[in-house]
Amino acid sequence: MATMAIAAVTFAACNNNQSSHEGHQHDSTAVTAAAPATAATDESLATLTPQFTTIDPAVAASLKQVTDHYLHIKNALAGDNSAEAANGGKAMATAMEQLNKAALTPEQQQLYGQNEDDLKEHAEHIGKNEGNVEHQREHFAQMSEDVLSLVKAFGGGQPLYQDYCPMYDNNKGAAWLSETKEIKNPYFGSKMATCGTVKAIIK
Amino acid sequence: MRKLIIVPVLLLIIFGVVQFIRPPKNQSADHLATAITERYPVPADVQALLQNACYDCHSNNTRYPWYTNIQPIGWWMAHHISKGKKEFNFDEYGTYSAKRQRNKLKRMKEQIITGKMPLRSYTLMHADARLNADQQRLLTQWIDSVLAISGHETR
Repeated sequence: MATMAIAAVTFAACNNNQSSHEGHQHDSTAVTAAAPATAATDESLATLTPQFTTIDPAVAASLKQVTDHYLHIKNALAGDNSAEAANGGKAMATAMEQLNKAALTPEQQQLYGQNEDDLKEHAEHIGKNEGNVEHQREHFAQMSEDVLSLVKAFGGGQPLYQDYCPMYDNNKGAAWLSETKEIKNPYFGSKMATCGTVKAIIK
Repeated sequence: MRKLIIVPVLLLIIFGVVQFIRPPKNQSADHLATAITERYPVPADVQALLQNACYDCHSNNTRYPWYTNIQPIGWWMAHHISKGKKEFNFDEYGTYSAKRQRNKLKRMKEQIITGKMPLRSYTLMHADARLNADQQRLLTQWIDSVLAISGHETR
């Protein structure tokens, strides 16, 4: 009888917790049962703030474009749309050419320089490989590392979620950035659209 | 009747003239400090494989077969080499950022394993550039060793 009662309370608490945070009002059994569910909410998500606080407005605008084209590629890959991804790649390469590096501080220049040639190459290759979505995804995995470094340093122009797909490339795993909390996996597209976890939010 | 003769004669003249327009050769005696061989240990057997299978299009030194002296084959070859060098140049490895160096090696390994490199159109004419399974393994193990060293450097 007692076990049934605890089970019922636990069940109710879990259910509750999906829509609100009121699970804590119940007895101790319910609280422990509810703990894993709360771990996925926004408050417990690691929040990162960009390293640089002062950025030249023109540079910030260029970097915003780079990030936006990245998200464009990401959404195209999530939708298995190779042609759209290629457009995004070409646009990103152009945006990078227009970035005024002279307006960066020496520290910013160093960080940008650590990513620039690699990122540009990935953008160009994604742009050139329309029709070969798997090859575009290979470049996208390495591109995501570059964009992640840039966004952590300069910000993304909007809050971005850092997501992780543990299965990509024979379970080696790969990260990506998203403007939405909802998972839309760019590495597997429609085959595994919602596979992945949110690791952090970069504000 | 006369028109039938003019066309082949004209083509022959054009063919003769274009022989004098030669693209510059991709050959250099300079030993650059940016070469991968200056950065990481490259064993002799690995070096021989790289030279036979990769360096014609991915270094500052190409071995030119005799037929590349015939135009427009030489032009086509020059275009091909400049594209290859832009993608990756073993002699300019040191000019890439640390990240790009590592990513290049990772993709090089991938291309070797999947047989995308060396290109089939190239191995068709260069039998010594074909990599058998043992040679592929030798190269990928070398890449892994370089990645391990460079991983320690960046950390």
